[in-house]
Amino acid sequence: MGHIIDKPQMDRARIKSTEEATTPLHIGRGRRLFSIILRELRILSKSPIYVFCMVVFPIAVLLFFTSMLSQGMPEQLPIGLVDADNTSTTRALSHRLEAFQSTKVVERYATVSEARHAIQRGEIYGFLYFPKGTTEELLAARQPKISYFYSLSAKLPGSLTMKDLKVISTLGSAAVGQATLRARGATDAQIQAMLQPIAVDLHMVANPWSNYNVYLSTVFVPGIIMLFIFLITPYSIGTELKFGRSKEWIMMADGNMLVAMLGKFLPHAIIWLAIFFSYEYYIYGVLHLPHEGGAWAIIRLGLMAVFSSMGFGIFAFGLLPSLRMSMSICSLWAVLSLSMAGSAFPVMAMDGPLQSLSWLFPLRHYFMVYQITVFNGFPLLESWFHFAALAAFMLLPWPVIGKIKNAMLNYVYIP
Amino acid sequence: MYIFHNIVDAISDAAFIWRQEMRQVFRDEGVLIFFIIVPLVYPLLYSWIYNNEVVHDVPVVVVDDNNSSLSRQFTRMADASADVKVLCHAADIDEAKSLVSRQLAKGIYYIPSDFDSNIYGMRQTAISVYCDMSLMLTYQAIYQTAVSVTQTMGAGIQVSRTQPVTKRDAEISVQPLVVSEVPIFNPAGGYGSSVLLAVLILILQQTLVLGIGLSAGTARENNRYHELIPIDRHYQGIFRIIGGKFFCYFMIYAVMGAYLTMVVPRIFSFPQLARWQDLLSLMLPYVLACIFFGMIVSCMVRYRENVMLLMVFVSLPLLFLTGVSWPQQSIPPFWRWVSWLFPSTFGVRAYIRLQSMGGTLNDVDIEYCSLWIQTLFYFVVCCIVYRHQILLSRDHALERLERIGRKIEVVEQIRKRKRITPPKTQVP
Repeated sequence: MGHIIDKPQMDRARIKSTEEATTPLHIGRGRRLFSIILRELRILSKSPIYVFCMVVFPIAVLLFFTSMLSQGMPEQLPIGLVDADNTSTTRALSHRLEAFQSTKVVERYATVSEARHAIQRGEIYGFLYFPKGTTEELLAARQPKISYFYSLSAKLPGSLTMKDLKVISTLGSAAVGQATLRARGATDAQIQAMLQPIAVDLHMVANPWSNYNVYLSTVFVPGIIMLFIFLITPYSIGTELKFGRSKEWIMMADGNMLVAMLGKFLPHAIIWLAIFFSYEYYIYGVLHLPHEGGAWAIIRLGLMAVFSSMGFGIFAFGLLPSLRMSMSICSLWAVLSLSMAGSAFPVMAMDGPLQSLSWLFPLRHYFMVYQITVFNGFPLLESWFHFAALAAFMLLPWPVIGKIKNAMLNYVYIP
Repeated sequence: MYIFHNIVDAISDAAFIWRQEMRQVFRDEGVLIFFIIVPLVYPLLYSWIYNNEVVHDVPVVVVDDNNSSLSRQFTRMADASADVKVLCHAADIDEAKSLVSRQLAKGIYYIPSDFDSNIYGMRQTAISVYCDMSLMLTYQAIYQTAVSVTQTMGAGIQVSRTQPVTKRDAEISVQPLVVSEVPIFNPAGGYGSSVLLAVLILILQQTLVLGIGLSAGTARENNRYHELIPIDRHYQGIFRIIGGKFFCYFMIYAVMGAYLTMVVPRIFSFPQLARWQDLLSLMLPYVLACIFFGMIVSCMVRYRENVMLLMVFVSLPLLFLTGVSWPQQSIPPFWRWVSWLFPSTFGVRAYIRLQSMGGTLNDVDIEYCSLWIQTLFYFVVCCIVYRHQILLSRDHALERLERIGRKIEVVEQIRKRKRITPPKTQVP
């Protein structure tokens, strides 16, 4: 009889001892925090998915964008030439095309339709066309017409091709005028004033090379790091539930959510900050992308980006305390935010409702604070609204923290 | 007779697997999101974002130190242009700069005090343009407007300076050679028309891979032993499993593909020059390659959420590798090789050329063949990977069976021993 009574007592004792091992009652919050941090570090180091998503992938993306755009501007874009006239004048003009950096004549075509076909096959982006009799009409002062064709199906190569072809045809027109004026005895200054009475003196502030690395690496790389923060934050809370560790986690914090959250996310924050700061060091310190705002503005922006994204991630899980739903929402939001940031297609050109909607995306505020305080070096005050919005994203977990606790203690994961 | 029977059996097994997979797709809200809701809603959202296509009325500040009729004419003409709007006049550059820093204006036109006296003195004059370079499109709008306005004004000045016999004479002396600009494809230079078509094709691949991955993850988690392939009478034979699953995804994406490539461009009137026969023959290998690619990825997924962590972030790099925003000739060789792994690279390039440039299937033969090669390659790899999975689950099952067998043996031995010395029942 005796051993039958003993068994539950032994079980109870065992449970008590494991409880004490993880959460001894007498220890203070500092110790609890420390033990949760240690536990989180163990989880992070055990699961390879964290190593990949927090370190390997962000670095891969950084290298992808910076190596892809290392030229700054595309060079040697293929273009074609249709010279139906084929005289020394047209040849002289087409020779000048060779001197351009961004385009390169790769092929000569007999007819316009052949050249158009080549564009459709993706072989060239545009072509210059001299119709038959161009030189003859030019000499006879009958105002001949030359044309340049280009495709804007791909916007950047199309507009670069357009620019070069425009310059060369304008030069052609100018060369004829120049010869006439020189024959009449005009000086160089007079010729210049005659051919182009008003010049445009362009100042490209902060990015005089119109370097594409500056446009894309400064927004898309942090955008993808923020995407990972968006995803990993709810993943980390949700997997507690999924692998049945949630009660243990909350019990280790003695039900104090502040301790539980701090313990869980301090290691994350440190890793994210390390990644974000190394990204910033690489693009501003090594690649020397423009940063008029200086180091403090860069560091401040990094801090805001990491903590606001973590705030958003925790909020998303609190709103929908299920791993798959919160991660789906976060991933869709993060992908959308790459467009809503307005770094490629500006927000001011979008429809009104979308302009207001863009406030809900941390990356949008990140981009605004970046371009005001870091890129242009204007004072922080000018970006106060976006800065405040990022701060608001950090505070978002506050209202849902109770809901997360409830989920951790009472929910059961259903696959 | 035997072969015939076998075929019927295989088909009925595949049909069974198809039904299981279909049921799972519509039961699992995660899969449902990526298979149905995202392909339906995302294109609409993106189209809405890029629907305005170009930037109009970019605000600029004018600093007019000249204040003559010519400088005022420049300001008026710039304001009247489609792309630029003169927000206000500023007293000096500093005031204008403060407006730019407050994000009220995106650029400054500075007209120097000797602007008109230079023109009257037959000297070249200049206008300074200061651009906030944080946005490419606004910079282009501000600069190009300044260029076109000064050219128009300049042509007027040139004509007034010549002493022509006739008007025609004046025209020719100013412009001996006429240059005509012909933008042939996407003539308005719309941002949406160039990027969105790529996004549509990319959405197709990404949602397909995510959906298949999630579905496989759920199947694994629902399985008692975390196997992808359950031990079942119907799940025997690679081709039955792959065939059954394939037809499930293919049926859904035949509909979604038609919606993405035909309906969405029509709703938002993006370019749609492709013939339907060409489109159909292009989309067939594309969807096939994506499905097999997705099925391979799904075998690597242990937990369903991991596929999101793997696949979501690659969307943006994949968009860049297609060459729609960065020309494909300028992609470094290493990334070019990487891009050949993904069906989207060829799918997007071919689709844009068909749809936006009105090409035919002949014009995209390289991409078309590449897609078929990818389909074949991924199909073979898919078979190998699934065979591995089947063997794995069979091995595990045998192991379990052996363990159970051993257990039964042990129990039987204990029972035998007990039979020899039966326990004494307590009599109350």
